[in-house]
Amino acid sequence: MSVKAFELVPAVERDLLMGDKARINIECIECCGKQLYVGTNDCFIHHFLLDEVTSSKGKLTYFAQKLLHKYLGLKKPVSELRAASALQRLIMLCDGILFLVDMVSLETVPSGGGAKIRGVTAFCVNENPVDGDPFCVEMAVLSSKRRTVQIYTVNKDRVQLVKEVNTPEQPCAVSLDGYFLCLALSTQYMILNYNTGASQDLFPYNSEERTPIVKRISREEFLLAAPGGLGMFANSEGVSQRAPVNWSESVIGAAVCFPYVVALDENFITIHSMLDQQLKQTLSFRDGHILQDFEGKVILASTKAVYVLVPLPLERQIQDLLASHRVEEALILTEGAQRNIPKDRFQILYKRILQQAGFIQFSQLQFHEAKDHFRKGHLDVRELISLYPLLLPASSSFTRCHPPLHEFADLNHLAQGDPEKVLRCKKFLISYLGEVRSTEVVNGCREDVDTALLKLYAEQDHASLLDLLASDNACVLADSVPWLEKYHKYFALGLLYHCNGQDSAALQMWTRVVDGDLQDHTRSDLYEYIVDFLCSASNLDLVWKFADWALHKDPTIGVHIFTKRIASKVQAELNPDDVINYLGKHSQALLLYLEHLVLERRIKKEKFHTHLAVLYLERVLLLLKSPTDEEQLTNARERLQAMLRESSLYRVQFLLGKIENCEQLLLERATLHGKLEEHDKALHILVHKLRDFPSAEAYCLWAASSRDAASRQQIFHLLLQVYLGKPQMAPDGCNGGEMEMAAVDLLNRHGEAFDAVRVLKILPDGWSLQLLKPFVGRAIRASMHACRTSQIAVGLARSENLQLLHDRLKERKKPIVISEKKGCHLCHNTFSEPDVVCLPGGVPVHTHCGAQRIRDSPTKRQLTNSSNHT
Amino acid sequence: MNVGKTSLLHRYMDRTFKDTISTVGGAFFLKQWGPYHISIWDTAGREQFHGLGSMYCRGAAAVILTYDVTSWQSLAELEERFLSLTDTAHHDCIYAIVGNKADLTDTNAQLAQDSDGHSGDSDSLERTDEQVLSACPTPPASPVSLSGLMPHKQVTHEDAVALYGRILRYKGLEETSSLPAEKMCFETSAKTGYNVDTLFETLFDLVLPSILRKRNENQGCTVNLEDSRGGGGSKRSRSGCC
Repeated sequence: MSVKAFELVPAVERDLLMGDKARINIECIECCGKQLYVGTNDCFIHHFLLDEVTSSKGKLTYFAQKLLHKYLGLKKPVSELRAASALQRLIMLCDGILFLVDMVSLETVPSGGGAKIRGVTAFCVNENPVDGDPFCVEMAVLSSKRRTVQIYTVNKDRVQLVKEVNTPEQPCAVSLDGYFLCLALSTQYMILNYNTGASQDLFPYNSEERTPIVKRISREEFLLAAPGGLGMFANSEGVSQRAPVNWSESVIGAAVCFPYVVALDENFITIHSMLDQQLKQTLSFRDGHILQDFEGKVILASTKAVYVLVPLPLERQIQDLLASHRVEEALILTEGAQRNIPKDRFQILYKRILQQAGFIQFSQLQFHEAKDHFRKGHLDVRELISLYPLLLPASSSFTRCHPPLHEFADLNHLAQGDPEKVLRCKKFLISYLGEVRSTEVVNGCREDVDTALLKLYAEQDHASLLDLLASDNACVLADSVPWLEKYHKYFALGLLYHCNGQDSAALQMWTRVVDGDLQDHTRSDLYEYIVDFLCSASNLDLVWKFADWALHKDPTIGVHIFTKRIASKVQAELNPDDVINYLGKHSQALLLYLEHLVLERRIKKEKFHTHLAVLYLERVLLLLKSPTDEEQLTNARERLQAMLRESSLYRVQFLLGKIENCEQLLLERATLHGKLEEHDKALHILVHKLRDFPSAEAYCLWAASSRDAASRQQIFHLLLQVYLGKPQMAPDGCNGGEMEMAAVDLLNRHGEAFDAVRVLKILPDGWSLQLLKPFVGRAIRASMHACRTSQIAVGLARSENLQLLHDRLKERKKPIVISEKKGCHLCHNTFSEPDVVCLPGGVPVHTHCGAQRIRDSPTKRQLTNSSNHT
Repeated sequence: MNVGKTSLLHRYMDRTFKDTISTVGGAFFLKQWGPYHISIWDTAGREQFHGLGSMYCRGAAAVILTYDVTSWQSLAELEERFLSLTDTAHHDCIYAIVGNKADLTDTNAQLAQDSDGHSGDSDSLERTDEQVLSACPTPPASPVSLSGLMPHKQVTHEDAVALYGRILRYKGLEETSSLPAEKMCFETSAKTGYNVDTLFETLFDLVLPSILRKRNENQGCTVNLEDSRGGGGSKRSRSGCC
């Protein structure tokens, strides 16, 4: 439970007051600055000067120096004392009489004006006066006989009644704040506004059984003793805004010294927190008599001596709480003290407390809470990292803050060697660093944080290691290398080198892993990764350096370095010629690369095409020499043939020269002849040497594609002629019938490609029509079609012509009007028939006159056509 | 003796059901509700602190009157002793009547409603908080003698509804213009969490508009959500079922 919030320090010892006189007791006290006044039961006032001395160790002691004592001559106890320091007066209550004495001389001052106030049971001074005059004190007075409260103002030498208000019952204790009187009546407490007369009952209380307490604790807020030994709070509206504190039944005095409520009973001083209502400290105090606070200083008196209850500095209280691991209470106390501490100082204090609290919870493995507090306290993460041995990079300039935030040397100390605990702490740090590394918390120490995280990941074999290295990071290379090597994280190490711009070192590392020199199973596809890496490497030297290794390892994948290289503007482009030269010794890779250039990138360069064709050819030739795998050979030949057919950029003669002597590659040879437009040679090979008629047909189709109709016809006729040529040219074992069938098929299949008339002329006479029915039928239909089409075209052309003439006429001419009244220009007779002839200029004449004139004219022939224009 | 006011609040605020001791004087909670803080007073049920009730009720916007469903007397005491304490509440204060300990009589309420509550396990019948026995000297009934017996439900929902009607009459409110009884009478279990969130959230939603209206009229008005209590009833219920 206990917090050490206060210390009890003696102020005035018994010797100074009454010596050994047993019957003399302290009745009341007042303290005002350094002035301490004590009233006794033998009607004396003692005046002390109270000096506060702080020893070198920070311990506070008080020295009381007696200045004066004065007998008031009433033989009754001095029951109350209040200082009005601005007036230099003490207000005293003795024997029911209220009067003023001078603060220094302790001489009675005549209260000019009225008589002495008599029959007083209690009074109080308004600490929140309604009158602005600083040289005027307001007080409320309770009388023994009347159910009233009187309000007086006190000036230097005058006491004046201002107001008198009635109460429903006899009041026995009073406190005053502004216009609000807080009263203890005989059976209840109430709030009474003496200005408006408005009252508010608070709660019942039997003042016969227990002494009531009404203590003003702040502006318009009072602390009251409630039934059941409670300390209740009530404001001037009669509302309780704080939960009550639980005192004992016999409390005789109470005061607030924020954030604590101090109460005195017969044997103890109890100290409760106003923040959580808990009892925080209990001090034994015998014969307790008086507990009052004066300007924030809590002073107590037993019957014989005076003490000061000195609050310990808040920071020390908080540290005490933290030292006993009472985190919640420490935080509540800190937050509660916010309003008593300047804002900037509070911020610093609060942050530190949060951090300390975080470390305490961390040490108890309450990571969730610890994390919250670290966050809120803006902890320099390095404080946490530094707990873990060797995590901070050697280059880090970090030193732990002083005074230390926690008591631990390192994690092993904290966990006391429990490996389970250490592991949990490490996992926590991993998650915590992972969360904060992207926030501004790590500003200025990113290297330290990232390096620590890297080390933890490596040590814990954590999957996020690669994510860390793949993203933007600030890991310190020098520190991380040995660590990663220690945990065999060579792939990660390579990534780290890469992050630091040392791609060469990275590749060195990775190639050693692939070669099995180093063991790291992070990636099973590391080789492919390296190839990919080289694909995108911007440094060409690096590419050349490691391409050899990659190609040796696996040429088909290795060549991806060149073929899959991402074309971009930033990257230096590889020169294909250089690559081809380089790949000279890796034939398989070279082939793949050329295929990439020719087939995929469609680079139109004779050199590449020829090179690729030659490579294909060489491969076919190689396979022909050792005919083991039929399928492989077919495959290779198909590639070669496709190449020969599709491309038109290679050097045909060169290739032709290479296969001239190879009798197995006739088809290829035919294709090459075709490329040279030597169709007769090609077809000759196909038909007579290979006797492969479908190929011959395919050849025609291929050779005729993208040609005009005439050349198409020519090529097909050529084939037909070859088929129908002299049988003796055919090699042995084949007869003319076979060729003829091929010719028939050709005609029937590709009839449209032939000129039917020419074909019919050269066809042997003996062939039946039935045989050629499809061809002939199609040919007739085609020529019919052509005929009709052309007729339609003629008709259309004519009508178009007519239309145009009509239009022309309309453009140029008005109609030529003839009637019976008009005369012919030539014979001057009138027209009797609609048939006329127009002379040039549109002059109508009789037909016969016109004919006559043409006959007579030397240019008659030229005019014969200009008739019929009616 | 206890009807379970503090337990209700603990269940709602901390999501747990733990042993509480008899509340001394009163306790105070702040609940963050959207952008607002709602202050909730947990009052002391003991006779000794009876006089403080009206202090806590002063200016309250809502009052939760809690009884024990296994104790007819706890409901009767609400009306006899505690209703007058609410005289100091705000004039448009709303009233909720809550029958707690529903898990003792209603199997539905034995099922926990939030993840961290216990579901209705076998010892749910032994609901004999230690402090109940110590705070109330008369009943000697031991927890063991209770086990296996379902305490008789002494207060029905209709009883609570009827009380609600009488409260409205006592306050001089028209039934037609007030909130309907069906909406304002709850049966809860602080032990299992049954209906607890519903209770508080319903009240907050109902009360917030009037608080805001009041605040606009009068800056700086505080709001008390007040738990009054019925007490002393469990004694009877125990003897009745044993």
